[in-house]
Amino acid sequence: MPRGSGSSRRPRAETGARRETSGSRSAGVPADRETVVLQQAVVTEPSDRPAELASRETEDSPVAPRFHIFIIDTGWDSPAHKVLQENFALLRELQREDPIFVLGKEKSIEYLRHHQERIGHDPIIAVHDLAAMDDTGTTDFHGFRLRLGLLRTHQQALLALQNFVRFLRMHRQSVDLEADIRRGLRREGFAGAIEIIMHHEAREIGG
Amino acid sequence: MPERWSDYLAIFMSALAVGYMIYEIDRRQRKLREVFDVLDAEDSDITASLEDLVARGELRPYAGATLG
Repeated sequence: MPRGSGSSRRPRAETGARRETSGSRSAGVPADRETVVLQQAVVTEPSDRPAELASRETEDSPVAPRFHIFIIDTGWDSPAHKVLQENFALLRELQREDPIFVLGKEKSIEYLRHHQERIGHDPIIAVHDLAAMDDTGTTDFHGFRLRLGLLRTHQQALLALQNFVRFLRMHRQSVDLEADIRRGLRREGFAGAIEIIMHHEAREIGG
Repeated sequence: MPERWSDYLAIFMSALAVGYMIYEIDRRQRKLREVFDVLDAEDSDITASLEDLVARGELRPYAGATLG
């Protein structure tokens, strides 16, 4: 369940987001306008409607980001890859407050060349919790990830992606995201076993 | 103590069922963690390198409407 907006970590996340773009700050610009200008400045323009998209993104996303979302996808001809391609626009719309960084094919291949044990796990969606990273850096809990490529069927991948996006939305204001995730993992494992006993496999996403 | 062999069988079957339940919960949790889990100290280097790409401006928020 989403918690209240009175999280003690939120201001830190905002600070972290600002720190990232502080190099392009200009004097005498009001804070709100400055944030909009800075956000526009860091948006790349790979599409044919870059200015429109960048403008829309900033108008629709006045809230400071809580997460950095990274997508690593080398492009295997897999159901998971197709599901991500087909549903990326929806993912982006639902999660518009937080920037999504897509490692292109080249960067993704380079990434997996350095982390061979993860080959075949992609598409991977890694979510960095800026609030946690401002508290303890990356030495402790600092986010979560979905290895979509481990799911073998279109249906499994789609269900996992939907659950993942729902989780992101519902826990955006969470003050203890790690506890929420671990509780969810325990519950899912237990629920799965109960369903086996009840001869009902519909919720299974792991194959 | 049970007096009939059928009682022993019932106890054995019950223990088997409980054992299977525990095994299945554990298997499900492990499988789920392979797919979805937290990022912690083990992932520290990877996280740092991705954030470094962002800080250096080599990776920017994706503005395209679709992937590909």
